[in-house]
Amino acid sequence: MRAARALTALVLAAGALTAQEPFPTRPPSAAPLRPVQFPPFRDVALPNGMTLLLVENHEQPTLSVSLSFRAGNAFDPAGKEGVAALVAELVTKGTPTRTAEQIAAAIEGVGGGIAASTGDDFLTVSADVLGEYAELAFTLLADVTRRPTFPAEELELARQRFLSSLEVELSQPNSVAGRAFQKEIYGTHPYGRNTSVAAYRAITRDDVLAFAARRIRPTGALLVVAGDITLARARQLATAAFGEWRGAAPAPLAAQPAPTKRATDILLVHRPGSVQSNIVIGNTTFLPTDTGYYAARIAAHVLGGGADSRLFLILREQKGWTYGSFAALRRTRGLGYWEATFEGRTEVTDSALVELLHQIDRVRTEVIPDSELTAARGFLIGSFPLTIETPRQIASVVTNARLLGLGPTYIQRYRERLAAVTGPRARAGAQRTFHRTALTIVVVGDAKTLYDKLKPIAAVRLVDIEGNAMNPGDLNPTGGPVAFDATQVVARSDSFQALVQGNVLGGQATKVALSGDSIIYTENTAIAGFQQRSTVVLNRDLTMRRTEQTGTVQNQQTSIQLAYSGGRVKGTAMSPSPTGTPRSVAVDTTVPTGTIDDNALTLLLTALPLEQGKTFHLNVFSSGDGLTRVVSVKVGGVEQVVVPAGTIPAYRLELAGMQLPLVVHVSRDKPRRIVRIAPTGAPLVFELVK
Amino acid sequence: MRTLSVLLLLLPGTALAQAGAAAGGGAGSGRIAFEQFTLPNGLRVIYSEDRSTPIVTVNLWYEVGSRNERAGRSGFAHLFEHMMFQGSAHVNKAEHNQLLERAGADFNGSTAEDRTNYYETVPSNRLNLALWLEADRMRSLAITEENFENQRQAVKEERRLRVDNQPYQGAFTDGLTWPFDSTSCFPYAHTVIGSMADLDAAKLPDVQAFFDTYYAPNNATLVVVGDFNPAELRGLVNQYFAGIPSHAAPEAPRCDATGGAGRAAQRREVRDPKANLDAVLRIYRVPEHRNPDTGALELLDLILGQGESSRLNVSVVRRDKAAVATGSLLNPFGSRNGPGVWVTYGIVNQGVSADRMDSLIAAQLDTIRTNGVTAPELEKAKNLLRSGFIANRETTMGKAEELHHYLTFHDSIDEINTDLERVLAVTSEDLKRVATRYLDPNNLTVVIVRAGPATTSGGSQ
Repeated sequence: MRAARALTALVLAAGALTAQEPFPTRPPSAAPLRPVQFPPFRDVALPNGMTLLLVENHEQPTLSVSLSFRAGNAFDPAGKEGVAALVAELVTKGTPTRTAEQIAAAIEGVGGGIAASTGDDFLTVSADVLGEYAELAFTLLADVTRRPTFPAEELELARQRFLSSLEVELSQPNSVAGRAFQKEIYGTHPYGRNTSVAAYRAITRDDVLAFAARRIRPTGALLVVAGDITLARARQLATAAFGEWRGAAPAPLAAQPAPTKRATDILLVHRPGSVQSNIVIGNTTFLPTDTGYYAARIAAHVLGGGADSRLFLILREQKGWTYGSFAALRRTRGLGYWEATFEGRTEVTDSALVELLHQIDRVRTEVIPDSELTAARGFLIGSFPLTIETPRQIASVVTNARLLGLGPTYIQRYRERLAAVTGPRARAGAQRTFHRTALTIVVVGDAKTLYDKLKPIAAVRLVDIEGNAMNPGDLNPTGGPVAFDATQVVARSDSFQALVQGNVLGGQATKVALSGDSIIYTENTAIAGFQQRSTVVLNRDLTMRRTEQTGTVQNQQTSIQLAYSGGRVKGTAMSPSPTGTPRSVAVDTTVPTGTIDDNALTLLLTALPLEQGKTFHLNVFSSGDGLTRVVSVKVGGVEQVVVPAGTIPAYRLELAGMQLPLVVHVSRDKPRRIVRIAPTGAPLVFELVK
Repeated sequence: MRTLSVLLLLLPGTALAQAGAAAGGGAGSGRIAFEQFTLPNGLRVIYSEDRSTPIVTVNLWYEVGSRNERAGRSGFAHLFEHMMFQGSAHVNKAEHNQLLERAGADFNGSTAEDRTNYYETVPSNRLNLALWLEADRMRSLAITEENFENQRQAVKEERRLRVDNQPYQGAFTDGLTWPFDSTSCFPYAHTVIGSMADLDAAKLPDVQAFFDTYYAPNNATLVVVGDFNPAELRGLVNQYFAGIPSHAAPEAPRCDATGGAGRAAQRREVRDPKANLDAVLRIYRVPEHRNPDTGALELLDLILGQGESSRLNVSVVRRDKAAVATGSLLNPFGSRNGPGVWVTYGIVNQGVSADRMDSLIAAQLDTIRTNGVTAPELEKAKNLLRSGFIANRETTMGKAEELHHYLTFHDSIDEINTDLERVLAVTSEDLKRVATRYLDPNNLTVVIVRAGPATTSGGSQ
């Protein structure tokens, strides 16, 4: 059999060669394609108010069954964003007759799955199984939608995971950009409200029960069945599962306005350490049934629909600024929106934003050439057969049209309506849809570099990842001399214990001595294999005079000798290196007025004029590597700090700009002293003993 | 699970590589009928008719991937893949994308360790276009300094997008290479995306050399699945491809590592300033895909990591509440003709230490090594496998990838229709045996990802 087949193949190959046409130097043209119709589907109103949509297809022995309710995130109570998502998470976690484990085992045991999720408008529960398990799918779907019990311990587990998941989301730039963008364009409209720690914590089991009771109802729900099943069987199973279910349609979303934007501006979200910026540009548009959709769709495709659209060709294929830049219209049940997106390295962010705005201008003002219109139609209409390959794809098109309320002729007439859009109509669509003078622009990236570069483009509002306003001055703080309170520096001796991962592994002793015109501050530290002794001599006005430090770090001897005078620091610094041989650096450099040696920093923190809410930017000379850094000290409130020396009320100081962020507690009562030092992210703490 | 679905974004992007196909074969559905022939220049052609939708997928695999790269040129195979879209003798830069988009196509390519694919799904009346474009770029590439520089930048942005600007991806991408030693197995000891330094070091002459070595009909397989006439297909293939000359067969890459044995355990800690929560990756070496143990490993993977009823979800996520998510992956970027990787991972729940979560994950793996799996679990895994197998073969693209997979990674392409049966015959003793052998602490690279800012050495602290 195999030999015969190979022989045939050889003959065929040889035969074709003798009569071969030459290789075409131009792309071959298209043969005619027979007209492709949208596959048939059945649409049945069930007596309980549900609608059954069936896409019957027996090519594969698979079946998917989904049930959608008007119970999306937009219906979350204000201040409790996440209720809908929790309901979705929990419906499969227990019914009166089945535990979460039993539900999972029943369906996964036969190679299927059941899951629920929410979007802005809808909550959908779906089950996927091999066709022979159709009854199981319907039974489980009915059980979890009609009789979920929302066990309290499942709610707590879900809440914990949602809180953790939120943390992960906030570390991902595209999620941060998406959240900021939705909030900007929709404001207090339900589509714009984001989840938050506070909201997740505020949600009670009663909230979950009430939401489900109000909104998981049969009337108006859409049951979509696709795959290996007949209409008769689908009706029979749907009736058995849901037939007796009653419940009026849930209340629709009250119409709410989205904010009117007055002018284009930029929301810059500072994400420290970003190597790329995420840009999202757009605005709200219109209702899904708006007849202007088709013109807008063509315009959006020309602008950024794919790999031969303007944004991709220019921003990636010409300029090499990005892996991809695109634009798209997005529809919801209510007010939709459009967005253009870009991700590219920090250095080109400003240029890319200018180019993006320029391209938006072009598509609004210039006539769209026929070639690009043809290309857009070619894709949007030509790709149609690809969108109906599987029953689930077909079901998805039908579901989408139904859930968005697009009307009975939408699917049939979609292609012809797109084809009818002319160049002038597309331009008009662009003008209407892309609000050039009132665009929302969100940029997520390293604001230290971006802030100044974006300011010339449009007004910039600077926020952190959580959306709190940030002071641009805090981005690249310049240090300056601070009016220290020298009366806080009094003669004393303090000792600290050093805890590593909760175990006392050493300690530190500090001493302040006053002598003539000098203040002598010594620090002796010993923790496991680390030893260091430093002596700093300051003038009585707290300006620096000299520093000496010796120590052993990782079996390497280190020493530092520095002298400060006339705006310069001179000396040598020998510090540990990974090679095992200490590295010696000669220091001779200017330092700004008021520069503090880093060995004196903890002393001088006690002399700051502390007040909650204040931030100080100190120039600190790093003796180990010979560089001046700006250390920002943010003063928080007074906290009761428990240390071996007692429970001491102390200001919380957050220090940034050194190797590690530090949290330092300085006593409220004067003369001030250090109570506690804790580097963030390292398991080391110094606590005052006496 | 809307908010939890964000965790799925942590899995490697699929545009870089396609995930390996599930085990295949089997009675009844999922059976793929196909024909094949080979041109005199060595191009192997496989085709399978499917008239159910008026579309056709053209899918070309070149037998080259990141494993063929030399030291100092990591990421080159993927950079080269980008160059294949930049035009050829009769196609201008941007014209490739234009012609296909205009035709309504879904098209792309992807680079993995062992192979690079290029595919187009088109309405069936555009089969000729898809084939012509593949042929023109197989015979001639338009390599210019400008195009090369442009795509180098695009690839660097892709690396930033997928890896450098994301939490976890750096550790994940690098972690997959750590079970291998550069001297004895460079092919799998470096990343598919490549380092920025190597991407910067790539030169234009490298592109032509790579093309000459690897992009030849004798190093490629063309698969066509969908709505077409076989006689017409054969005519077009002969017309477009038969005149392309073959090249010398490329040298096979060398990897002297044996899966499941030898290398001592490693434990690495990685600081990830972009992450908010710690994570753990447990990476074990597994044998090449065609090894008889692969079926058992796939079932084990399903039992441990798939679905709400998986071992890891039931224990570490739900009972211990130690992880916000856990999972398990076998060869995330694709199957290999060489030693592969099994990755079990978890991201902690707030307030839980990575070490605690890791010991709980380890306990689950050890339980299976000691006690094996239960009969219901094995049956479930086989059912999940079978469902996945059917899902993989539903579309023309899915079928095309399956045909390629069996040709490339199995002893015979005919296993495409017998493999499922073979895997369904795996016993729970087999599972216990493979768990004991491969999920062995001596075969383990543990990567602890510590969220938060890095410490730097030196200075007074």
